[in-house]
Amino acid sequence: MKNKMKNKDFLKSKMFTLLVLEAALIIIFSIWARSIGNNFLTANTFLNLANSLVVTAFLAIGAGCLLISGEIDLSTAAVGAFGGVIVATAIRYWDLSWPLAVLLTLLLCAAFGAANALLVTRFNFQSFIATLAMASVAKGLMMFASVPPDGDNPIHVSFRSPGLEFVGGGKIGVLPFPVILIAIAFVVYGLLMSKTKFGRRTYMVGGNHRAAWLSGIDPKIILLILFINSSVLGGVSGVLASARAMQGGLQALGSAQFTGLTAAVLGGISFGGGTGGMGGAFVGLLIINTFQTGMQIVNVNAFWSNAFSGLILIAALAMDYFSNRAKTKIGS
Amino acid sequence: MSHSIEFQHIGKTFPGVRALNDINFKAESGKVMALLGENGAGKSTLLKIMSGDLPAYDGTILLDEKPITFDSPYHAITAGISVIYQERQVIPELSVMENLFVGELPTNRFGFVDKAKLREETSRIIDDFEVPFKPDDIVGGLSIANQQMIEIMKAYRRDPKVIAFDEPTAPLAESEIGILFKLILRLKDQGKTILYVSHRLSEIFEIADEIVVLKDGELAKTFKTTETDENELVRTMVGREIGDTYSTLERNGKFGDILLEVDNIVTPYVNNISFTLRKGEILGLAGLVGAGRTEVARAIFGADPVLSGEIRIEGKPVKFQKPKHAIDAGIALCPEDRKEQGLVLYRNITDNTCMPVFDKLTTGVFLDPAKETRLADEAVRKYSIKTPTTDKLVVELSGGNQQKVILGRWTSDEVTPKLLILDEPTKGIDVGTKAEIYQMICDFAKQGMGVILVSSELIEVINLADTIVVMCGGRVTGRLPRKEATEENVLALAMKTDAGEKM
Repeated sequence: MKNKMKNKDFLKSKMFTLLVLEAALIIIFSIWARSIGNNFLTANTFLNLANSLVVTAFLAIGAGCLLISGEIDLSTAAVGAFGGVIVATAIRYWDLSWPLAVLLTLLLCAAFGAANALLVTRFNFQSFIATLAMASVAKGLMMFASVPPDGDNPIHVSFRSPGLEFVGGGKIGVLPFPVILIAIAFVVYGLLMSKTKFGRRTYMVGGNHRAAWLSGIDPKIILLILFINSSVLGGVSGVLASARAMQGGLQALGSAQFTGLTAAVLGGISFGGGTGGMGGAFVGLLIINTFQTGMQIVNVNAFWSNAFSGLILIAALAMDYFSNRAKTKIGS
Repeated sequence: MSHSIEFQHIGKTFPGVRALNDINFKAESGKVMALLGENGAGKSTLLKIMSGDLPAYDGTILLDEKPITFDSPYHAITAGISVIYQERQVIPELSVMENLFVGELPTNRFGFVDKAKLREETSRIIDDFEVPFKPDDIVGGLSIANQQMIEIMKAYRRDPKVIAFDEPTAPLAESEIGILFKLILRLKDQGKTILYVSHRLSEIFEIADEIVVLKDGELAKTFKTTETDENELVRTMVGREIGDTYSTLERNGKFGDILLEVDNIVTPYVNNISFTLRKGEILGLAGLVGAGRTEVARAIFGADPVLSGEIRIEGKPVKFQKPKHAIDAGIALCPEDRKEQGLVLYRNITDNTCMPVFDKLTTGVFLDPAKETRLADEAVRKYSIKTPTTDKLVVELSGGNQQKVILGRWTSDEVTPKLLILDEPTKGIDVGTKAEIYQMICDFAKQGMGVILVSSELIEVINLADTIVVMCGGRVTGRLPRKEATEENVLALAMKTDAGEKM
């Protein structure tokens, strides 16, 4: 009886809607690709798909955790690009070994997160504004850091590091290393948010921060951790992007910010805070990337692809609205 | 002109609940009809149906003898039905006049807002209401009572045929209630049909001509006010006789050592507050709205800063930087505004109960669902919270059950406070549940807890508290044992502003 209820709940859940959407996309692209003589359902497609998740996955996780607490971080992509340039600069010009360079990069990125948290929790800035300003600061510092000793003004800093090359694109068996990294990250963050007291407190703060505070939870500490986390994950994306290209690009992660946020929202994490979870964010990300990969395979112009991604988001939110008007529930 | 609204076979089903069933009655012009019932009896649902908020229902509504249906609140308003809800729906950033005419601002020939006309028409309504603010005042800066008045003025301005009031007096002071009642009588004379929802029986006897009692979604009985009394109404409402709620309470007779000493504390909101509380004692903080009672509670709980003076718990001075510190020292607070400050509405009963003690509910690094559920089940059982499961979102519970969830949060196997602060614990709660909560409060005292009870209902404070501290304008104006407290002398102290300054 209880199981039956659970099944019924699942059919009404957001997760079910998302999985239906993902399945529909796979079916549509399979038929579409077949009709023009391509093949969608291949192992290669799925590897490409997984690979395309790498950079945005960490942004989606960071954005998702913060959104659950009711805040937003618009500086992650800029901080990530900053990190990508710093790691490249550190290896090429400062002669640091790659693990040290990565560590230094992530620490510097963490500082941005701490600054964001300070602005939001101490000076009561709207996180939207504070992080937008911080994005500008990060971009400026990135350009400053990317000026090489010879004074040239580059658009990227290239470097060589076999170790980092493996991190960005090496394989263990058939699986690319960064894909394994993402899988681990989603599991760890999924457990963190749904099963630990830190995660639960984050939901309570996102749901009603005053009630949480009066119940002995300190929203300031939670937000400090989450803002730092978001910046560090931004840094991880930047490092991965650099590791794959073997250069820190000033234009890196350009639209990834939007994709990360979209994935989180598509997955059921609302801007209001207190809802959704990592599982949803993952499937959300999967949908966006399935779509983009599919569009490439059926050779649709990238312009259309952008317009269609917007429509997909609208479709997902509409399906959600009709399947469950009163409220959204999700098995996080 | 004469108007009427008639409900025929009105029914409404929410998923899993039959909220209203076959409601039939007619409210006529020039009469005040009171709607009475416990929380969850269906009063709000009925109001939402007639205001167009819930377009899908069974049965027919007749306005002036003609069947009418609404797709939206806007429809209902244009048809001549205004419902004034408990929750204020004013826009705090805008001025009084803009709030009154929102949606229908008068414009000049260039299409801009005609401020002169707006101001003039607003002044006329303000004169009718005898309220102490001006058309240009920003609404957010007004008292809660005045904001409520604006809500009523907004409805009045539309000149509706039917006006429904949902607990309009809850945030109002005595004098303001007087003004409101005068106004309702005037509306009645103008031939409006008036529906009046309230928990306060004395008000209903003062203002209503007829009384409709709802119980569990059904119409239990209709009375003429002159042909019934409080006991009969309560009996119909809850299905039993409440008699004198207070005299049947099992009180705590013996007090222990001194638990709390508040010694001359000053915060940004209150001045020179002093009192002491013993273990097992119930201390009532009485006063009018805005007297600073909530602020005293918040200062003790570490939610507002204490600028000078000292708070001692069991003789030891304490300084709490935040509520967490107070909780660790054995203090619990059930805040005034359950929805804003007490509950995370879109989380379930379990989470809301376990919120302060997640630390104690883990196995390894993970929360243990079995321990969480056990704690929530305990609260549900102990306080007979009406719910099929602890997975239910608290937003779906009635006010009384929500309050019980908060009580459950602070009194469980994992938390036993020494000092329990209850800020308006019975606000918006029906008679039956109130009686339950009164007994709980006495039980807490019997267990040796010190209880601070903040309440706007004088009768409640006078009858429950062992000692009553009266406040006015951020100061303590008097201290009375229960034996000496009467409504008159407490009220006199509560309005003693100038004398308080000289003391």
